[in-house]
Amino acid sequence: MNPLVYFWLAFKASLFSTSGTGNLPSMHDDLLARGWATDRQFAESLAVGQVSPGPSGLWVISLGYLIDGLRGALLTLVAITLPPLLILAVERLYRRVKHHPAVEGFVRGLGLAVVGIFIPVLFRILASAGWDIKTFVITAAAIVAGATRRVPVIVVLIVAGVVSALLG
Amino acid sequence: MTADEFTREWALCQVAPGINLLGITILIGRRLAGGPGIVIALAGLLLPSVTITILMTAFYARVRHAPGVQAALQGIIPATVGLGLVTSWDMALPLLQASQREGKASLGLSLLILAGAGLAVAWWHLPVVLVLCGAGVVGALAQWMRQRAIQSDVRP
Repeated sequence: MNPLVYFWLAFKASLFSTSGTGNLPSMHDDLLARGWATDRQFAESLAVGQVSPGPSGLWVISLGYLIDGLRGALLTLVAITLPPLLILAVERLYRRVKHHPAVEGFVRGLGLAVVGIFIPVLFRILASAGWDIKTFVITAAAIVAGATRRVPVIVVLIVAGVVSALLG
Repeated sequence: MTADEFTREWALCQVAPGINLLGITILIGRRLAGGPGIVIALAGLLLPSVTITILMTAFYARVRHAPGVQAALQGIIPATVGLGLVTSWDMALPLLQASQREGKASLGLSLLILAGAGLAVAWWHLPVVLVLCGAGVVGALAQWMRQRAIQSDVRP
């Protein structure tokens, strides 16, 4: 793995995302194509990111650690800290143009595309756990638990892990 | 900072690059103490959470081959995906509802962008960044044309 290229990929993914997990599809595409990460590592780092404190966008730091140790984690930290600083530059511009229909349309198109790209990636990550009835039931249960908005994320993950370990 | 100001700045963070929470931290840091405020606010947010994330990952990397860990992960992966699907739904719903209010054509285009972007990356393997920019441009053109059509209807 080339650290400079990795840094660029992580930076680019964060720059073209507008949320903490918006960089997932781009990272997934680039790192898998180079053979630097696996679906499994994506799944593992997403899980750690959900459980660890701070913004959920820190999942990618966990990914950096899994593929390149502390160096990978620190490179990722810099790569995700720089793009938000651009808010200082776009702030004035955005306040002036945000009600322009083309800007509203751009933001909407971008948001829809993020979700459209996200869903197939999620299914690939799901496939890394294997397709069986247990996987299916736990996915469905997590959707229900998430949709109620009452169950904390960490509880969903712990219950899923314990149930899965008990079932063997 | 008032609740109203916070809401407005948070809305800005939703469209600015990167993690929203970092964006709002930067804006609040600057408001409190300018450039140094930004550095201190970011450090305050990131130092503890990043350290713990790295430690947790290092711990996981150490125990990943222990018995039970992989079995637990077989449950945690689908749970993560399930929660991710809920998040995706939350992200898409307000955008689709806004389109629906504009009419069937607008809703149809939005669904087309959603499905088209997914296919373009998963099936045709087009670069993600290119697809995102393309979807933004299509959305911008559609809104712009719609607005012009409305205006020319108003003016006889």
